[in-house]
Amino acid sequence: MAALLIALKDLRQRLRDRSAYLWGIVAPLGLAAIFSLLFSDLATGAALDVRFAVSDQDRGAAARAFVEEGLLPLDAQGVFAVEEVASAAEARQKATAGDVDAAFVIPEGFSAAAEGNGTSAIEVVANVDSPIAGQVASAVAGQFVGEINAVGTSLGTYFTLVGRAPEPGEAEALVPEAMAVPAPLALAETTANSKELSADTFYSAGMAILFLFLTVQFGVLGLLEERQNGTMGRLLAAPISRRAIVVGKALTSFVLGVVSMAVLVVGTTLLLGASWGNSLGVAILVLAGVIAAMGIMFVVAAVARTPEQADNVQSIIAFVLAMLGGSFFPIAQAGGFIAKLSLMTPHAWFLRGLGDLAAGGGAGAVFPAALYVALFGLVTGGLAMFRVGKVLTP
Amino acid sequence: MIKILTVGWANTLRLFRQRSNIFFVFVFPLLIILLLGVMFGGGFDALVAVSVEGEEGPLAASLVESLDALDDISVERCASVEAATDAVQRRRVTAGVLIPAGFDAGLLGGEAVEVGFLTRPGDQNGMLTLEAVRAVVAAAGTPIRAARFVAAEGVASFEAALPVAQLIASGEPSLTVTYATAGESVFEDFENLGTFDMGAGSQLVLFMFLTSLAGAADLILTRRLGVARRMLSTPTSTGVILMGEAAGRFGVAMVQGVYIMVGTLLIFGVNWGDPLGAAAVVILFALVGSGAAMLSGSIFRNEQQAGGLGVLLGIGLAAIGGAMVPIELFPSTMQTIARFTPHAWAIDAFAELVRRDGGLLDILPQLGVLAAFAAFFLVLATWRLHRVLTH
Repeated sequence: MAALLIALKDLRQRLRDRSAYLWGIVAPLGLAAIFSLLFSDLATGAALDVRFAVSDQDRGAAARAFVEEGLLPLDAQGVFAVEEVASAAEARQKATAGDVDAAFVIPEGFSAAAEGNGTSAIEVVANVDSPIAGQVASAVAGQFVGEINAVGTSLGTYFTLVGRAPEPGEAEALVPEAMAVPAPLALAETTANSKELSADTFYSAGMAILFLFLTVQFGVLGLLEERQNGTMGRLLAAPISRRAIVVGKALTSFVLGVVSMAVLVVGTTLLLGASWGNSLGVAILVLAGVIAAMGIMFVVAAVARTPEQADNVQSIIAFVLAMLGGSFFPIAQAGGFIAKLSLMTPHAWFLRGLGDLAAGGGAGAVFPAALYVALFGLVTGGLAMFRVGKVLTP
Repeated sequence: MIKILTVGWANTLRLFRQRSNIFFVFVFPLLIILLLGVMFGGGFDALVAVSVEGEEGPLAASLVESLDALDDISVERCASVEAATDAVQRRRVTAGVLIPAGFDAGLLGGEAVEVGFLTRPGDQNGMLTLEAVRAVVAAAGTPIRAARFVAAEGVASFEAALPVAQLIASGEPSLTVTYATAGESVFEDFENLGTFDMGAGSQLVLFMFLTSLAGAADLILTRRLGVARRMLSTPTSTGVILMGEAAGRFGVAMVQGVYIMVGTLLIFGVNWGDPLGAAAVVILFALVGSGAAMLSGSIFRNEQQAGGLGVLLGIGLAAIGGAMVPIELFPSTMQTIARFTPHAWAIDAFAELVRRDGGLLDILPQLGVLAAFAAFFLVLATWRLHRVLTH
């Protein structure tokens, strides 16, 4: 009961001086809004819109097959857009100017080379700023010539082993048979449920968890402030247990953390279009996150001498953990040691848990992640309890 | 004059009395520059996770090798299908290539073998990677197919034909694809930069402004504790106190700016371009930062408020000004809005100095805009502080 009174008084005080609103809601919401406004197109790659031009200077059977069977079906599937242009110069010019990402030029003599007379090459000209699209253009052309070359390899192997040159018409007769041999290797495409957060959700969640570690300090730090202001002595003299004082301060942190996170989840969903996923799952992760933040905060409070010192140390820890945990940028993509380091932070697991929800998981999907986050808080907070008595002195 | 410097010096020192500021001013910026350099310095390759189930035979190994040999694709090996799937799902990699158990045996035994290709739904980069992988997989099947054809024709056994087919397939094919790039790159400027060069200028601007705003807390403390009023009771004019406070904010911004510049130069060998031009940008941006700090310090009532808004404005304006993602990549409206932040002009000045080898004269327009920002902030803040301190 005494704990409740302490918490209520602290909460009233924090709301009156407005700093809790700023740290808990305004700052994270503002930054999430700025980031998602600026960067969400970038992150989702919505700007990637691949266009190719093709110029057929050969007009033979193989060349037409490349345009009509190689390129147009992929255009129809929406992988990229293809336009046919009259001259090779026009195709190259379009790629140079960036009107298209890459241009194919099929030279004269291509179809003849496909039938074994000489050599030829499809020319791919990519715009310098479209390296991926250029790579794809050359892969598509490569697949097509690969199929023709494969028949060439089959016939070449045949005549090498037979030990003589082909008689007139003999090679042509074998082509359909060589083509009839099915490709021994095929790709089976599947898609996996994405566990990646949408850009809007990522920035909302990243900022929310970063500022959570700063918001919780407004409760636990009260322990040090009471001592500095000389009110700790009076609290200790009052007929309330020492535990009630700690619980009261912890309750303040807990309420501030949970309320600010709840406001952020709802606010970013409505204002920024963030989609956090299954509500129960989010609630579990938020609770775990608040516990983790409080655990660290108690350690800091137990070690620090003054509230200012604790405030400073907590900010350092909050920013470093957030940076390593991938709140600002997806640091796990760096791989190796940094990725492992990242997975030691509660932030990384909080975001992973949300990723599991984004893949359509139910509330249960967050458990491995939420468990780690909560455990992080329980272990750190538990350790702090050994020393918290030190703070409870006048 | 000596009084101004004394007040300024005392105010600069105050920032570093607080030991956490030593971390945020001296350690954190370099840490971020290091991490960003490590993460993004390596180029823009698509990463493909490859898992090989069961024993990896020579055919499987050669398939993985030819995937890795592709220009814009690098391969990360995963121990299991699950690990590869998870990497794809979490977008650690663009796609997964799953080579099944018995890959070699199947191919040698006349079966059709399927290699799994895994992407996230609707991911265009994944679809693009698919085309590249498809070509490699088809090429890997070519000699097998030739040997099967020859065996089916009854010319030789599959085992005898395979080495011949492999030899022929590795020879010069009659049809090839040539690849060339054309045009002038928007990004060309970035590509010639060292690993850390691009991030360093942006981070310098971000942290100078952020640290300046953090210093605003000291100004509020000066007001709250009545330090300014006590100084006024001594034979010191309001003007001198204001100048002293401004000098203090300026000192803080300069310490941050010079530290990052010299630190990155020594540790990461960052190229800052023409020293005179770089110094001019840092000095003017320090003035902008001190103006903003004075303004914040005159408006807010307590340190926590100034701190919360300082972080929001410090990081938010930096993001809008192109200190996190180059402004060239913004949507066009945002590019226009970015021009209203001092950050964008300072970053532009650094770009001129570093990427286009400009000198002091080439960045005069940018310096002019920064000076205007600084003057605007300082005049507004002085007017406001004058009222707050004397009433």
